[in-house]
Amino acid sequence: MNHIVFEVGLAIALVALSGLLAEKFRFSVIPFYILVGMAVGPHAFQIWHLDFRFIESAALIEFMGRIGVLFLLFYLGLEFSVGRLVKAGKSIVTGGTIYILINFSLGLVLGWGLGFPLEEILVVAGITTISSSAIVAKVLVDLKRTANPETEMILGIIMFEDVFLAVYISILSGLVLSGSSSLGGVLLSALIALVYMLGLLIVGRKLVPLLNKALNIRSGELFALVIFAILFLVAGFSETIHVAEAIGALLVGLVLAETEHVKRIEKLIIPFRDFFGAIFFFSFGLTIDPRTLGGNALWYSLAAVVVTLLGNFIAGILAGRSAGLSPRASSNIGLTIVSRGEFSIIMANLGKAGGLLAILQPFAAMYVLILAILGPLLTKESKWIYRTLDKVFKFESRHVKRKAQKRTPASEEQ
Amino acid sequence: MNFRECDLPGIGRKFVLETRSGDKLAIIVHDDGRRELYHFEYDDPDQSISMVTLDDEEARYISAIIGGVTYKPRSLESIEVALDDLIIEWYRLEPGFSCVGRTIGELDIRARSGVTIIAVIEKNHTKHISPGPDLRLPPDCIIIAAGEREQHKQFRHILRNGCG
Repeated sequence: MNHIVFEVGLAIALVALSGLLAEKFRFSVIPFYILVGMAVGPHAFQIWHLDFRFIESAALIEFMGRIGVLFLLFYLGLEFSVGRLVKAGKSIVTGGTIYILINFSLGLVLGWGLGFPLEEILVVAGITTISSSAIVAKVLVDLKRTANPETEMILGIIMFEDVFLAVYISILSGLVLSGSSSLGGVLLSALIALVYMLGLLIVGRKLVPLLNKALNIRSGELFALVIFAILFLVAGFSETIHVAEAIGALLVGLVLAETEHVKRIEKLIIPFRDFFGAIFFFSFGLTIDPRTLGGNALWYSLAAVVVTLLGNFIAGILAGRSAGLSPRASSNIGLTIVSRGEFSIIMANLGKAGGLLAILQPFAAMYVLILAILGPLLTKESKWIYRTLDKVFKFESRHVKRKAQKRTPASEEQ
Repeated sequence: MNFRECDLPGIGRKFVLETRSGDKLAIIVHDDGRRELYHFEYDDPDQSISMVTLDDEEARYISAIIGGVTYKPRSLESIEVALDDLIIEWYRLEPGFSCVGRTIGELDIRARSGVTIIAVIEKNHTKHISPGPDLRLPPDCIIIAAGEREQHKQFRHILRNGCG
């Protein structure tokens, strides 16, 4: 146990190196973190002091990854506000609904088509439905697309997906983690979870004035301690009653978002989120044995990638059309939100925690790796892709025709 | 003026202006303090032709230039603004200040410091434009005052320590 600091240091160094490598090649960092985690692990080798098997520190790294999930979701809760969703406007609600309907149904059909049992189907649908907010936001900023007309719609859909994610993980963790096999037992634990979550939100809202006073702490150190205490206590307690700890963290974020201190909390959390988030991807990679990636897992994930590409593109075109965007802007929507990352892995981990089929992990790993690399590339090349597809589908000419048709009745009236 | 603004969750805020001269300009204020200016095609409002990225300091300087603060466009030169020594300051009353709950008259602000209080904005956004001597300074309000540098120094002292 005496080399544990050195081992963890080695792990962090690997993560840092892979991140630097990704930056150099102008790739998204997430797949690199996962790949480097997969490259080392129990099957790896040991050179003198450098133990790439991470056996002693595996438990600790896994724990750090778990903390990473807490910070990711806590931050999501802080950023999210109901007011924002209400303000988002009708077109975004329509777009988000279209996206979730199409892609979630496709995910269910895919899971069913691959012959999975019910719980696994639900997990697969979760894995394939939810985009990676981290990758999408970063790609938009990097490619200088923040001012584009479709960006509002893209971010709106992402926000919508976050809501869906919260609700869905809650339901699913009630189902998968309850451990009871009878329908009554499952329903009971789902009910307990629901009452607990609603209770936490309602009580939390009532406590906001009190929290405002309590968090009025000058010292940065004490402020951090208090926030972390609240976060870990609630998340940890949630887990004891079969509500995923991630959801506990999200709820804490939602409640604290209503306080006056939200900006200060965000500032405090971001570095922790970034650091432990990176470790989270690495530790996910550690749990994947590259030798399990062949065979079925590979074919399943390729099938899922094809389904996701189609579903996202079609949903993007429809969502864009409903908001009155041009066909090119609409095709950008689908090509941007196709990136997958942290949330798909959280879903897969939920399946693992519930003791579902082992194939879910390598399946999710391959799926996320492919789409975390392919997604940003598709976004970057969206212009060329659109031109190519336009030759086949004639989006542009049909769009012009539709516009003309809309105008003709008006002109006849004049 | 055709002006629109909206939130970009996780990125920042977007402002779009379609100018009277027919240009479309989009300004993104990033959460990390960067600003980006995008200029769009005339006939294809989806395509940006050019963009500029500014850091916080540059953006402030540019905004001053555009606002005509550091360089006065010819048409404004006739309006003589004696802003040389006059400084307008915003003060937020912290909970520990002695002046909270006293009236402007009690504190005898004009006589003791020389600044003029232009406005007091309460926390709930109630505005008192050029308030009289009988206004009580509410906690956590923002005071906007005009005066010279020395006078502001005096005024800060009064805010912190009341009548001393």
